[in-house]
Amino acid sequence: MTLRLREAVVRRGGFRLAADLEVAATGVTVVFGPSGSGKSSLLSAIAGLHRLETGSVTLEGRVLEDASAKVRVPAHERGIGLVFQDARLFPHLTVRGNLQYAERRRPAARNAPIVIEIARRLEIESLLERPIRNLSGGERNRVALARAIVSAPELLLLDEPFAALDGRRRRDFLTLLRELSQEQGLPMMVVTHQIDDAAELAHEVIALREGRVMAFGSAADVMARRDFATLLDRRDLGARVAASAVAGGAVEGVWVRADSVLLASESPRGISARHVWEGTVASVTREDDRGVLVSLATDAGYILSRITPEALADLRLAPGTRAWAVVKAHAL
Amino acid sequence: MVTAMLTPEELQILSTSLGVAGRAVLFSLPVAVLFAWALSRPRFPGKAVIDTLAHLPLVLPPVLVGYLLLLALGAQSPIGAWLKSTFGVQLAFTAEGASIATAVMAFPLMVRAIRLSFEAADPGVFEAASVLRAGPWDRFWSMALPLAWPGVLAGAVTAFAAGLGEFGAVITFASNVEGETQTLPLAINSALNTPGRDDVAFRLALISLAAAVSGLILAEFLQRWARRRLEA
Repeated sequence: MTLRLREAVVRRGGFRLAADLEVAATGVTVVFGPSGSGKSSLLSAIAGLHRLETGSVTLEGRVLEDASAKVRVPAHERGIGLVFQDARLFPHLTVRGNLQYAERRRPAARNAPIVIEIARRLEIESLLERPIRNLSGGERNRVALARAIVSAPELLLLDEPFAALDGRRRRDFLTLLRELSQEQGLPMMVVTHQIDDAAELAHEVIALREGRVMAFGSAADVMARRDFATLLDRRDLGARVAASAVAGGAVEGVWVRADSVLLASESPRGISARHVWEGTVASVTREDDRGVLVSLATDAGYILSRITPEALADLRLAPGTRAWAVVKAHAL
Repeated sequence: MVTAMLTPEELQILSTSLGVAGRAVLFSLPVAVLFAWALSRPRFPGKAVIDTLAHLPLVLPPVLVGYLLLLALGAQSPIGAWLKSTFGVQLAFTAEGASIATAVMAFPLMVRAIRLSFEAADPGVFEAASVLRAGPWDRFWSMALPLAWPGVLAGAVTAFAAGLGEFGAVITFASNVEGETQTLPLAINSALNTPGRDDVAFRLALISLAAAVSGLILAEFLQRWARRRLEA
């Protein structure tokens, strides 16, 4: 399911998004960037809710929009689902009514998702007869997701679907998304500005900054770029570690913050930390008078650690020296 | 019970009034929904013209509206003559004519109430419907109309209550024919102009008041229902 945007420009009020990208869109693609970088505008343009000023959008070779050729498939004929941040359930219908609205309008297909099964899977079965106004924020999110899946889109876009959730419920929802994408064979594009969510979900990443596409491609490549760090807060700086490198590889990857990584100049022994990676110092970057960022090339990829200038002097770390990165399991 | 309290003459007048106002609402409701929907959309060419047209009866003297209807639909007019020769239908000076005059006068009220309820719907749900494969026509029937439905009813009831009291346009276009076009206000006017029928006028005034008040209460109730319904 190749999604391609060619010199696409969308304008919303004073905001302008310019996008030129191509992603394979299998599994979950994360659209990442700080607030105001154009993530929602990108989804709106792909779904057909906002007209392109110039450029084109194609999905699997099918032209959805081409401004110069004056071609425009309207949103309701694109077969692209969109789960909005604010759920946007239909207030005059019950939960079941909302799901049936999607069911009645989808094209007939043998393996179309069954309403009651999706409701069970998303644990909203007991809510089916409820009016929308009696639902909590988390319940609304799940109903909105169920409704989108029932409509059997070819590609599902999700605009920060877990913004209303926190802690455990958020983690459960992330897991659910990943599983649903696999079970239903449904490619998803998920907007988030949370680096942990991005690392966990992303097979591919589209990185946005100030209305421009900074990078796109595999999560490993995009998140390892030097300029990717410019999208992050200081305390979020770190590195993506592939899931295969950590225990319990049920996720795509894990974001390891520089602040949660200790460095040792000798192989540490007799410690409680579960993850120790041996590597070679690749670079040493002085941030300011308080911190130094040390990048370590290991088998698991680059690991970033923030240490004090004093520690750097004590450990005598310099590019080329051996070092060990130590991470507590719960930081993963 | 109500019938026992009223004289046969009063019953006749009341039923003429209810019939005229009822048919007026029935005729104009679909058109009003259409106008209201169009006016609730963002800018489009001709919007100002439609807006003006919909509100015109509000600012024109009712007598002028009746006169314009006579010019347009009276027996001497091309349309009136055609209706008479083709269908044998005469509008001027009939109950149907009274309904049309009432419909025109109540039209702006209806459009206003319905338009407000269309505008109250969150545009976000229409986007949500379109990504679930609902086209524009589908969205009108499955989203806009059901969401606005209580507002549409409220508009109809308000127009009905107002229609019961329409005087100028009706008397000009349909005249004051007992048992045919003599509605409550026309009957009150006649009674006031006839010596010794002050008590009749007073009783008719009470009936008119009761009908109008019940209409407004019903409309208010429907408006509240509409608001509750839109709460997500």
